[in-house]
Amino acid sequence: MSRKVRIAQLSCGPEYSGVQKEIYEAAESVDAEVFFPDIALADVERGVDAFGLDVRSADLKLMIARAMALVEGKVDADGVFIGTCFRCAEAAIVRNELRRYIHENSRLPVVSYSFTERTTSGTLLTRMEALTTIARRRALLAREEQTGITMGVDSGSSTTKAVVMKDNEIVGTGWHPTTEVIKSAESAVADALEMAGLTREDIQAIGTTGYGRFLIGKHLGADLVQEELTVNSKGAVYLADHQRGSATVIDIGGMDNKAISVIDGIPGTFTMGGICAGASGRFLEMTAKRLGVDITELGPLAMKGMGENVPMNSYCIVFGTQSLVNALAAGSSREDVAAAACHSVAEQVFEQQLQEIDIKEPVIMVGGTSLIEGLVHAMGRLLQTEIVVPPHSQYIGAVGSALLASGFIKGE
Amino acid sequence: MAEYIPDYVGTVTKYVFVESPSMTAGELALRAYEASEGVLIKETCFGLQVTGEPESVDRLIEEIRAFDPTHIFVKDRGFPPGDPRRCRANLGGARPGYLGHEREFRLLRYISRGLEELDRREEGDAEPAPPARGKRPLLDIKRLQELIDIEES
Amino acid sequence: MAKVFIYPATSLILSDLVARFGHKPLGAALGIRERIQTAGVDSPPLQITPEEPKRGLKYAAVEVPSGVRGRMAIYGPLIEEAEAAIIVTDADLAFGCMGCARTDELIVFSLRQSGIPILELKYPSNEEEGVQFVAAVKKFLDGLPKEEGGA
Repeated sequence: MSRKVRIAQLSCGPEYSGVQKEIYEAAESVDAEVFFPDIALADVERGVDAFGLDVRSADLKLMIARAMALVEGKVDADGVFIGTCFRCAEAAIVRNELRRYIHENSRLPVVSYSFTERTTSGTLLTRMEALTTIARRRALLAREEQTGITMGVDSGSSTTKAVVMKDNEIVGTGWHPTTEVIKSAESAVADALEMAGLTREDIQAIGTTGYGRFLIGKHLGADLVQEELTVNSKGAVYLADHQRGSATVIDIGGMDNKAISVIDGIPGTFTMGGICAGASGRFLEMTAKRLGVDITELGPLAMKGMGENVPMNSYCIVFGTQSLVNALAAGSSREDVAAAACHSVAEQVFEQQLQEIDIKEPVIMVGGTSLIEGLVHAMGRLLQTEIVVPPHSQYIGAVGSALLASGFIKGE
Repeated sequence: MAEYIPDYVGTVTKYVFVESPSMTAGELALRAYEASEGVLIKETCFGLQVTGEPESVDRLIEEIRAFDPTHIFVKDRGFPPGDPRRCRANLGGARPGYLGHEREFRLLRYISRGLEELDRREEGDAEPAPPARGKRPLLDIKRLQELIDIEES
Repeated sequence: MAKVFIYPATSLILSDLVARFGHKPLGAALGIRERIQTAGVDSPPLQITPEEPKRGLKYAAVEVPSGVRGRMAIYGPLIEEAEAAIIVTDADLAFGCMGCARTDELIVFSLRQSGIPILELKYPSNEEEGVQFVAAVKKFLDGLPKEEGGA
């Protein structure tokens, strides 16, 4: 059994919010252990002075000093988890600055999270898994080429995608709405195999990702079961043919959103979440339904409209839908409403998540929502950059899984 | 959800810190063991932790304080000694409270001085007042000149 | 014997002086001890469960971070129980239970609001201030009732 991955915890408040146990459990379930970097009082005093951020809370001072000990190499770690109370402004500033500081001054992967008393280990699991994967599987993540015949299955909250790859080419794809997790996967797999003209016996290795990865992984006898943060990063830079250097990956999903700052195809910092479904693909689905168009038509419709003509705030899916209905009732065009919905979702992701990572070009959008032209356009305008949407971007998780799975082909 | 079954129910644990020119933590422990009468004693780098029934702990603390009244300090602790939840070996580093102790440990000599001085003074002799903010003993001008001369020579 | 809330609630110096001069110090250790010695749902390290921040709603509104409310669930009852308080106003390096500045502000405010006798002073930074510090604490404690309160 491999050595436990050691995750340094920099935090203020989890013990008092009753969620430290959840952090321990999430780490344990991915065979990692969290620890608190050991420093002395003099290190705290020196660290706070040297860092230059004059916070009042002593536990935040402790966080700063511990971060410095990690960056200066006085304490060894494989990854860093930064956690502070949701709604604490002082802690949010420290959390952000430390994330940036560690990212810029070390090779340590960092994940930051703001918790409430309702945070569970399940919520933290994917993040911890990504941290440990980066630490444990650097060699696997270095893979830049798919070899042999492999299959990737991405069991997402809204849709299930399957991809068959052969000799670095995508030869089959399948896509089904996620209803019953295993059935949806079976259908997607069958479609992908049929398109590839291959059978299950031809597949040399299988990788799974997404919410249903464990269930599907077991069902298919997968060689690699991996969370979507590392898989999508890998898939994005592979499809965008940008495997070296910095990049930013944005995936606005059906249930949550991922923003990942990538270096050489490996996540450096990442956030995952979405306060509300209003900032997700789900809101765009609802918008399309209300406008009486298929989700595939929403993007082109939005491109014809002017979002500025319709006030919309999709912070909450209920209020967002309400403003959509109001706008239509007040005589706004469907095009303008579609554009406003796209802008609103892009804005929520921009405000809530993209502030938590460092945006480095190219910005690559992936996942099903990256096919909604209006959304990509709105995000590009907010970030003032030309967004890259690689071919097969909707299959990102499946492609990343198939690519990484080829590391498991016997003889590899 | 796992059930929690506590140990040491009904006991109290107290930290005993010694900051003395005439007594080391080791010596304190030796003498405390002699007086322990069943109270659990754990030696630490700064002194002791004592755990037991509240009355027994109070009695022992009274005896321990008498060893060196102005240099022994006592504080309540929430955890029993050696608890894995607070142990440095398990946490990877000191629990936050340890650094707080470090902060106050530096000041103990001033407190010792205060306790000694109060003992010396007659009842009502001392005029207690909270320390004034930022007020420091002034440096005599002649002494300052001496210091400058030494620096420059 | 009076119950004297100490601030910082983790203070060795205040805990010692209050007990030394014949009173009962109310600090973080008592709140933690109570939790550590009570059976319930396992929630390491402090046996503070997610229910505690909800109990903290008595002292701070829901938009106040969970860490503040969880800490107030420890301190609120102790403040209510206190018959006097000693506050060190420059306790800027007290961690853990005292590690959140917003909670600390709320504790001091709650104490000041409660109408109990309060001594506010700074840490000594030399021997002379040490003498003044101890003398001030002793005088304050001597002025508190010896027989009332207690268990």
